[in-house]
Amino acid sequence: MLAEDFNLPKQTHEIFSVMARGNFISSNGSKDGMNRLYDVINNPDNFDRFQAYFNVIRYNIERGNNFFYFSKLGEPNSELEKKLERFERYIDIVDLLASMDNKITIGSRFRPGEIAEECNANVRLKQKLQKIPLYRSETLHNKVREICDLMSRDSFLEMEDEKTESYKVLDAYTYLLDVINSVAIYEDTSLDNDNASGLIYN
Amino acid sequence: MALQVNIKDILSQLSQHRGVVEFLFANRENITVNELLAREDISHDQFQKLKSLDLVYEYENIVSLNDAVVSMFEDFMEIGEVTPGFINDYINELNRHIRFYQESRENRFLRSIKKYLKRINSTLTREIIKLQKNVDDTYKNEGNYRIKLQKLENFREKRDTIIDFIKKTNDVVESTRSLFSLTNDSELFGIVQALKVSLIENLDFLIEIQTDITDFINKIQFQLDVYKKAQQLKEIKDYGTLYFKSNFKEIVNGINSIKYNGHRAPKTKIAIDFLYSDDGHVLCKRISEKYKITRLMVRGLADKMAGNFKDKGLEHQIKLDTEKLVERFLEQKKSNLFEYLIEYKFPKAIGIVSFEDRLSLFVEIAMEYQNQLDFKYRLQYHDYRNNEKQNKRLGYTLILPIKEKAKKEKIKN
Repeated sequence: MLAEDFNLPKQTHEIFSVMARGNFISSNGSKDGMNRLYDVINNPDNFDRFQAYFNVIRYNIERGNNFFYFSKLGEPNSELEKKLERFERYIDIVDLLASMDNKITIGSRFRPGEIAEECNANVRLKQKLQKIPLYRSETLHNKVREICDLMSRDSFLEMEDEKTESYKVLDAYTYLLDVINSVAIYEDTSLDNDNASGLIYN
Repeated sequence: MALQVNIKDILSQLSQHRGVVEFLFANRENITVNELLAREDISHDQFQKLKSLDLVYEYENIVSLNDAVVSMFEDFMEIGEVTPGFINDYINELNRHIRFYQESRENRFLRSIKKYLKRINSTLTREIIKLQKNVDDTYKNEGNYRIKLQKLENFREKRDTIIDFIKKTNDVVESTRSLFSLTNDSELFGIVQALKVSLIENLDFLIEIQTDITDFINKIQFQLDVYKKAQQLKEIKDYGTLYFKSNFKEIVNGINSIKYNGHRAPKTKIAIDFLYSDDGHVLCKRISEKYKITRLMVRGLADKMAGNFKDKGLEHQIKLDTEKLVERFLEQKKSNLFEYLIEYKFPKAIGIVSFEDRLSLFVEIAMEYQNQLDFKYRLQYHDYRNNEKQNKRLGYTLILPIKEKAKKEKIKN
């Protein structure tokens, strides 16, 4: 079968080069035409073609809520140690972002300065930030910057404006939230329950 | 009203000071008397006149347009605030006038009925658009979670109210169908028809809004839950019991994204042939600069080729041929130079040699090889058709291959 038989859109190469690096393609990303790429994949006709095409080389497109990423078919997931380490770090980061007064979620915009400022004013947050391992930076601001940088490299955030250093949270952040949400805690850890009142509507 | 006024007065005042009215309408709350009087298009007396007609108010040195005027403009342009209360009032009024009309079939009641039906239609639509916008704004811009949830809840109530109004309106329209058909008024018929269509449409919009609100609330709820979960996980992690008190390990193990499984992006070696190309050279140069390797810098780029190098190649080829061409011409004795060139079958590689090319070749050979040629200084004529299909005649000098004897003489000379 020839590549032409798949009748692929011309962005195929771009999409592959983003996702094969392990990055996400989010619908609200704007750098390098990411939202355009998202639309191309999201088109149902294209999606089936892509899936068939990439499956040949054993990549599988995984669909999340407004984002896409690759998984590998038929290969055992490896490097458990590293994975655990990374996700433990993500827990720290998500926990920090979740503890902000102005909760940072998908689509929010923020500047590292704001977070550093808030951490500086709140001992609990300050401790949280300081305890996040792996970073060499001394000042709080630089530490937050480094976190943002790391999250941008993992395509969860996107720097929108270099001058003001403002970041936007991409849809791929849902992926982290989903992972965290799927973890079940065995024992009833008697934690304070006042953080969110159980409002569930139909 | 302070004075007895009529429409003519109001209209003439409004149009005379339309600049001022426009200005006041645009800056509704914060214009002082002095600011207004500083404008060139109104004098103190004129201002007093406007005030006496109650078209503008002055309160604590702040000037504002009469509310009636403002709301007239707003109503007309369909901007400004509307609240569900308006719709309720309109429906009550409508019912009242319908009752009047049932009592006595007078045209003035019918006119009011039409008016209120139209108003209900436009107000409902505006209300729904506003609701949609507010829901969207709240979800996207409201930073505080609790307020966000509260606001969305309020919008849900508002939506229910509007749905009630739609139902009420629908009931009114349905129950008065026979009455309206009795009036035989085509305008009323049109209004009712438009209202019915827009009621159905608006109901659809509301359902959509409802889905949005529910969706937003659920999303917020999900995020709240997740954040709570994240905080819990963080806590047990800090106690060092993350692997034992949760299935964190299994979940992470099951993660299949290639990023976290050590699958690197496929890397390919550079093709050798590419390195020999100009792009490859640029790449080599960059690498050599980076690592200070002089070996890679030896080979330079070829100079840029002239844009018309293809044409030059063609000329060159023809020129190469001329020598042989002249030799061949000298060997034959049948035709003169001109005829020879016109008839000559050039090799295919040169492509099509046009009549003009052959002519210039003729001139070129005549000039460059004059020593080997016998110029007869006699004119002969050649008939041909040019591109525009006109018959043309061309005169040319008769040139023959030089004869052996003459050749020797010429050399002697």
